[in-house]
Parts: sequence; structure tokens; C-alpha cells
Amino acid sequence: MSHSTIALPGQSLGPTSANNLGAGTHIHNSTLIASLAGPLTTTPSTTKATKHPTLSIPRATGPLLPETGTVVLGKITRTNPRQANLSILALGPTGAHPVAGGDAFPAVIRQQDIRATEIDKVKVGESFRVGDVVRAVVISLGDERSYYCSTAKNELGVVMARSEGGVGEQMVPVSWREFMDPVTGVRELRKVAKPI
Amino acid sequence: MQADRRRINAPSGGTAPPIFATPKDTPLRRPTRTRKPDEHRKLFLRTGVVPSASGSAYYEIPLQSPQQPELLVPSSSSLKITCSVHGPRPLPRNAAFSPNLLLTTHVKFAPFATRNRRGYMRDAGERDLGMHLETALRGVIIGERWPKSGCEVVITVLEGEEDGWWGDAGGQEGGRAGGWGMMGVLAGCITVASAALVDAGIDCVDMVSGGVAALVQDGQDGTKVGGEAKIILDPSPSEHQNIRAGCVVGYLQSRDEVTEMWMKGDAGTQVEALVDEAVKAASLTRTVLAEAVREAMGLKMGKASEEATGGLKEDKGKKKDVVMTG
Repeated sequence: MSHSTIALPGQSLGPTSANNLGAGTHIHNSTLIASLAGPLTTTPSTTKATKHPTLSIPRATGPLLPETGTVVLGKITRTNPRQANLSILALGPTGAHPVAGGDAFPAVIRQQDIRATEIDKVKVGESFRVGDVVRAVVISLGDERSYYCSTAKNELGVVMARSEGGVGEQMVPVSWREFMDPVTGVRELRKVAKPI
Repeated sequence: MQADRRRINAPSGGTAPPIFATPKDTPLRRPTRTRKPDEHRKLFLRTGVVPSASGSAYYEIPLQSPQQPELLVPSSSSLKITCSVHGPRPLPRNAAFSPNLLLTTHVKFAPFATRNRRGYMRDAGERDLGMHLETALRGVIIGERWPKSGCEVVITVLEGEEDGWWGDAGGQEGGRAGGWGMMGVLAGCITVASAALVDAGIDCVDMVSGGVAALVQDGQDGTKVGGEAKIILDPSPSEHQNIRAGCVVGYLQSRDEVTEMWMKGDAGTQVEALVDEAVKAASLTRTVLAEAVREAMGLKMGKASEEATGGLKEDKGKKKDVVMTG
């Protein structure tokens, strides 16, 4: 990868016969054109099929919308036996890109997407509770309203939770399926994300 | 009458505004165009002025000619426009599914933007400008890359161009016929919105820039008739007695496409020449736009690499000044 110059939208980057289309570019009249302003990045080809380098322009502001495969952080807004509703509040595994303007993206974690194993024994109520902060991966752009997310990986699941009883103390993860209230010692069931 | 309960209202008794009088025998001189017919006014553009918006920009055409020192009011108007872009953001709950980016534009004059005070509600002219701006921007945004989302372009005109010289019609709000000022405002709106969109990181096929040209027929020594008709770039309506036709375009220079055109008046056989000149004005504006975006991006990149190397955090604004002649 090499950074060179700053490209501006509308700038011609070369013919498509010698370059591959990357992020932040588009094709017009068989010419590669920049569609974002930013540093032009050239990635050499790694496959034998195409020898051309890929030209892309990274977005200076970071990702703006969740895409398939994006790891997101969100808050559970409601649960029912089939699914848990999630508000995506930030993009990136550590929440590096908060969603601008406080408009959370609505998302859904279906019961079969919560765990990787023993899918049919999973109960939504024993995995999430309203208010939990969850790390999840977007698996589909979903229906007209919600993105579809999954927590079926070790490092995905509840990262922050408050206890149900008492004063709603911040809990600590103690096993792959339990959080513990450090004050009362009460354990609660969750789909726990492996701490990283 | 129902009182306006949403705003702080003036006292009911009324107040006496101060009156700054000039001597009655003060000669009023119409501002004259000192630049060449194909010369654009100097303009200023800066992106990233509103921290809470995804993208924003500020556009200004400062006062040009030297002002009459004995008058308190400038004889010509300047143009000051801010634009903020919010989005892409999820659509509201009740909106239907859209595979493309839903673009909405709002243009609002500040109440103090023109010599005639504007209302708080958007009037027909402002809605019209919004529609024109939407057409201009719709052609550049690659909407397919933003499914299920909306984007809002909000423009506030802080100072608008007047439709004529206030000295016309004996100090009345005369010379207002025609609405030529709106054309300059629309061209500014297109350019500033384009800068703000690029600042927000929304994919565009090109940077659209706005340009105005007008067909004027000014007579000698303040008369309306007898002059020679000529086409000028970037007209300032207060400098002309008789504007016959005007044209605004939203132009994509690298594609050589026009996304928006608004023509007014009677250009006769010179319609095509007028459009060509407006396109030329848009090309001149684009040089400033490109420079502003490039400098903003350079600063952003510098900041990013500084943060990566653990350097000191500098002033957060991605600021730069671009002033240039056409």
C-alpha cells in the first residue's frame, strides 16, 4: 500500500484496463474516477488472475454506515423470545466511530444468531437483557428497517451489563455464560463476549 | 391575534429604533462594476465549520467596491452562506424502504439576511431554491451506496444578494423586480453544498459548482435604455440598472455535464451564449472549491498522521483560507 496524492471527487485515476476498482471510486466511460476526497491508495494485486493494482480512497471520517461484516457496538432496547432488538451506537470493535448525530441504527439479533453452538437451546432472555451493551457483527443489511446482527463468536456478545436486582451495579464477566454483581455476588446469565 | 409563543417577542409597547440619518444632500452613487465582464468576484470557502454536523462549509463573497464613506449602509450586498450536511442517517421509523440515499434540502434566509426582513417560516422563494438545489445535488451523489438512509442538506443564508440597488426608486425598496439576487444565492448554495458533501464523505461522481451569468443592457449615466447588451459573469445586481436575463447552472467540470439550469428573463437569441458564460463562471468557482477541499483534506491527513505517531493534539478545526480571483 502506498499513499501518494490527494484525489478529489471527479478526478480521473486511470483506465479500467490497468486498474481495479476499490472503495471510494467508480467507473465512468471505462475510466476509474474518484468519488471521495482523500489520499489515493494503491494496493498491488495479490492474486495471479489480475495483475492490476487496486486503487481506493479511504474515507477520512471513517465508516459511516454499517455493512455486512462490520463489528458494531450497540445497546439492547427490547427482547422477546424470538429476537433481541439492538440500537447500533458505534461502528468498529472498540466503538471508534460513533454514529453521528445520535441517530442509532436499528438492528435485530435473532435467536438463532446468538450462539454458534446448540442454537436451538438458546433462550434470548438468558442471553441479553434490556440495557446491555453488546458487541456484534452485521450479517445482513436486513429488512426495510433493521440490520441483522449476530453474536455467534467468542469475542462477540455482552460487554457491559448492570445487575437486575439491587442498585443496578456494573457487573463483571465470570464465565462464558455468566456475569457477576461484585457487590451482592449474584450471577446472571448472558451471552458473554470474551474480554479482549 | 394569537401571540407567537415559541420565540422571545418584542415588548408590546413598541420601541423607538435609533435612526442614523445622513444629510439629505448626500449624493448617492450607484456601485459600478470595476472588474472585467469575464471576471468572477473573489470568494472565500472553508469546510468543517460546524463540529456537530457530518459535513459543513462556509461560503462568502465579500463586499467588493470601496464604499461611500458618508453612508452607513453599504451600497452593494455581499453573500454569506453556511451549509451543514447531516447524514447518512437511518430513515425515520415511518418512512418506506429506499434502496438509495434520500436527499432533502432546506434553504433558509436568516431574518436579517436581506434589506427586507425575512420571516421565520420558509416562504415560497426559499422552497423554490431548495428544490433547485436538490436537483443540482441529486445528479452528483452516488445514492446506491447508501441504502436505507437519508441525508439532509441545511443551508442558512446569512447575507443574501439584493435584487437591485436600494438607491433606485427614490430610496424605496425599489429595483426589487426580477429577483436577480436569488440567482447568485442559488449558485452559492450549490457550491457550498458541494463542499459540505465532500467534507461529509458522501460519494459523489464529481464536485458540482454553481455559476451565474447575466445579459445586461445598462444605459449611460443611470438611464435604463440605450446601452449595449452584453453578457457578464457573476453579476452583482446592485451594479446594473437593466438586467435582461440571467442564468444559473450547476456544472460538473470533469464530466462536462450540467445537473441544474435556471434561466430567467428574455435572452433573445443569446440563450446559448448565456449558458456558456454561466458554465464558465461555474468552472472558475470550481477552482476555489477544489483548492478548499484539497487543503481541508491535507489538514485532516496531517492530523491523522500526527495522532498515529502520538504527537501533540493541535487545534481541532480543519481550517484553511482560500481567497482567489476568478
